[in-house]
This record gives sequence, C-alpha cells and structure tokens, in this order.
Amino acid sequence: MKYVHSLLESLDPRSKIISFLAIIFCMILTPITRLKDFELYFLLILGISFFSRITPVQIMKKLCILIPFVFFMAMFVPFVKPGQVCWSLKIGYWKLNVTCEGAWTFLNIVVKSSLSILLLILASSTTNFTDFLKGLDLLHLPRFLVMLMSFMYRYIFVLLEEARRLMRARSLRYFGSRYMEQFRVLGYMIGMLFIRTYERAERIYHAMILRGFSGEIHDIKHFRFSSVDYLFIAGIIISLMCIVSGLIYKMEYIKVSNARLWQGL
Amino acid sequence: MARIIIVSNLNYQYPDGTPALRDVSFDVKEGETMVIIGANGTGKSTLFMNLMGVLDGDGHIEIMGLTLTKTNKKEIRQRMGMVFQNPDDQLFCPTVMDDVSFGPLNLGWDSDRAIEASQEALALVGMEGHGSRTSYHLSFGEKKRVAIATVLSMNPKILLLDEPTSGLDPRSSSKFINILYTLKSQGKTLLIVTHDVFLAQEIADRVLVFSEEKRPVATGNYNEILNNYDLLLKNNLVHQHRHRHNEIVHEHEHRHGHSHKH
Repeated sequence: MKYVHSLLESLDPRSKIISFLAIIFCMILTPITRLKDFELYFLLILGISFFSRITPVQIMKKLCILIPFVFFMAMFVPFVKPGQVCWSLKIGYWKLNVTCEGAWTFLNIVVKSSLSILLLILASSTTNFTDFLKGLDLLHLPRFLVMLMSFMYRYIFVLLEEARRLMRARSLRYFGSRYMEQFRVLGYMIGMLFIRTYERAERIYHAMILRGFSGEIHDIKHFRFSSVDYLFIAGIIISLMCIVSGLIYKMEYIKVSNARLWQGL
Repeated sequence: MARIIIVSNLNYQYPDGTPALRDVSFDVKEGETMVIIGANGTGKSTLFMNLMGVLDGDGHIEIMGLTLTKTNKKEIRQRMGMVFQNPDDQLFCPTVMDDVSFGPLNLGWDSDRAIEASQEALALVGMEGHGSRTSYHLSFGEKKRVAIATVLSMNPKILLLDEPTSGLDPRSSSKFINILYTLKSQGKTLLIVTHDVFLAQEIADRVLVFSEEKRPVATGNYNEILNNYDLLLKNNLVHQHRHRHNEIVHEHEHRHGHSHKH
C-alpha cells in the first residue's frame, strides 16, 4: 500500500512527461461542448493523484495560487467576444452583453487550463526539478534549452540574494529623497545587477572550460525504464483512447442498463 | 627536483589598458607547495588565469615540459586544476555529484569510472554521501570543499588554489588546511594564492611575494620572508600598529595576532 501511494514519485521522469503531455494534448483537442469528456479527464487526473503522496489539501493550496491568474485572463472574454447575446446587464446608460460564444470560450479557457494546472502540480510535486530536466534531456529536447533551465534553477537564488544585498545596502543609507531621485537609484541598482550577473557568467564559463567543457554536457545516466513505467504509460494511453473514442460511454450505458436490469429484478 | 612550472617575462594588461602583470618570472619544483602572497590587486588571480590559458598574456609559460600555446590548453588543463575563490562560480550544476563528475565526463571517461573518481574525490574532502544534495543548499565551508573535489576528480598533478581559506571560520579553515596537507602528502604540486600570512606559515615550502607593482619581488622559505619585516610592510602584508600610552605614541610592527605585550 505504501508503495502504491508513492508510485508516481518512483516513476521515471520521462514516463511522467510523456503520459502527462499525452493527456494535455487530448484535452486541448477536445471541443469544450463535450463537457462530459472533461468530467472523465478530471476523474482520470484524480485517479493519478491517488498514486502519489500529495494530499488533496496540498493540491488545493497550489491550485488556489495559480487559478486566479487564469481567471483574470479569461474574465473579460464573455463581454468582449462578438456573437449571439444570451444575457445582458443594464446599469443606467451602461449595457454589458454576455455572448454565448464568449461564455463557451471562457469555459474553454478555464476548464482546460485548470485541468492542465492540476497535472502540472502533480508532476512538479512528485518529481524534483533536476530529475525533470534530465528527463527532458533524455527525451531529446534541445540541449541548449535544458542547459538554460538548469542554469536558471541553479543561479536564480544566487541572483536574488545579490539583489537583496543591493536593496539592503540602499535602504541602510536611504533617508528619504525626491521621487525622481529614487528612480535614478533604482536604475543604478538594476544596472549594477546586470554587470554583476554578466561578470559572474564570465567566471562560471571560465570554470567550465577549465574542466574541459567544449559545448556538450555529459550526464551520468541513472534512469531506467522499468515495467512499472511501461504499465503506467500504457494505462494512461488506453484510458485516453477510451475517452476520446467515446467507448467509455458505451460501457457506462451497459452499466446503467445493468442497473436497470437489477432494479427490474 | 625537476621544475614543473616555469614562467618567464610574463606581461598582461586588461583590455582597458591597466597593467595587471609586469615582467613576472618564477618557477615551481615538482611536489612543492608554493604560496603566493600579496596585497589586494597585485595580480595574483590574474596570474592563475594566465597559467590556465584563460587569459593570454605575453611571455613564456611552461607546464610539465609543455609550452602553453593555443593548441595544447586542453592537455594542460587535464594536468593542472584551478579552484576559484568563490565556490558559487565553481559549482554550476544542479547537484554536487553532477558538479564533481563534470570534469571526468568531459575528459571522456565512462560513467562508472567518473562516478568512482568523483566519490573518491568527495571522500578526500570529507563530503562522501552528499552527492545528491543541491549545491545551493550547502554551507559556505562545504561549498569550498566540494569546489576542490570538482578539480580533484580529474586527478591533476598541479593544483592552483585562489584564496582557499577566505571567508571560512577557524574550524572550517583548519579542516581545509588538513585537506591541503593530504594533497601535499600525495605528491601534488600546490600553488596557493592568499593574503593570509598564517596559511603560508602552515603549509608553504616556499613563499613568493607579489608587490603592488604587479610582479614578484622576493622568494624564499617562510622564515626568511616573514623575518624580513621591511619587505612585508612595503608590500602591504603587515600593518604598522599605532597606539597611545598616555603622552607617547607607539608605532610598531604587527604580526603576532591581535594581542601583544609591551
């Protein structure tokens, strides 16, 4: 049982990337009017989350951080998109029209992105970032991109620390000044940060070439596809095929008719 | 003993025209530990960058019988490793193991051999079992030790260390000096840049003093150099100590730590 609940953590990052991308791909190509399909996708994602160690509370917390952004972006679409008016609000001279097309688009954005975000949360909280990057690399994502992300992950905190030091140095000697003056100081600080970053990059590059770097990153390969990985991917693909082909409704139909049968008996 | 590093008439100036090294000549014998001391901005770190072939100065540099040219830099970098002053510059990979095995993998070693060499190097600096940690989460002392392991994993004959003990607390510092002792006993040639006179006292076979004219002015064993008080004062390595006793102002040398008797 313990193993079942950490299955997602023990999977090869590649199998997670492949299967989650497959789900997102299918979801995005499904027209929003097939709302029932999205219920099934949601159930599928819930099913996957059962195999991980994260609790629903943790998922909800992360969801609450990300959803508002999506919501904010989609919020104005129903009022802006032209089409058949299905609901309108009148305040004095003002008239707000909500169009049917707009409402569907709104739903399209919110539903699809929420489900994708759910998957993203599952992926990010069961894989550590360096493994994830190695997975991407093994899946032949351009080396350059992977290296870029890896360096960003390594140095973003160092940079933040540097920025914080600059801010601290400023605030310790700051006794209030004119508005324009503050912008000037801010400009200096940003410039300083750029220069420091540039020089650090130079030093890191030197450290790399001194250890024989010639444009290629060689990695210790320690990921191996196990039978569990194959099973996981196969499971996901089969359930996706069931959803996309509509096979599952037929099964449901059978189930329902069986239930009626039982009732009848 | 054979001379392993020969530098003669090395000149270097920064792109903006500021001279950084003026007519530098010295040599290092095999297995020797040479400590280069000098005040800030006397060109010690620039010298290292020249030795490694990162910066190209005018002059002659010969390392293990090979004259440093554009074509054999790679070969020389296999035999000579450099540890940077700031470990954050040296540790650029996501995890400690990735960093330590970076050099060996670039040399074309296979995974198993690289891992073995990396683990040996980590054990030597007392960081075994930390391979999967993220470099950013290490303490400064640990970072410094891992930084030296990243070079040791390539098994170089010569090690250049830039300010190895700067920023370390006393315990980490003495741990680090122990590591240097181990390396020395393994027969490696160490070249250490520092302005920590006490580190020089601990480990140096020979001391080279860099002056503020950006060139070496004296060389000799530790006692010869440290007893030459005028030399040290002139090159900004000790400071004149002034204080008052009632009406009289004392002025005397200052090199026995911070407490002293009158």
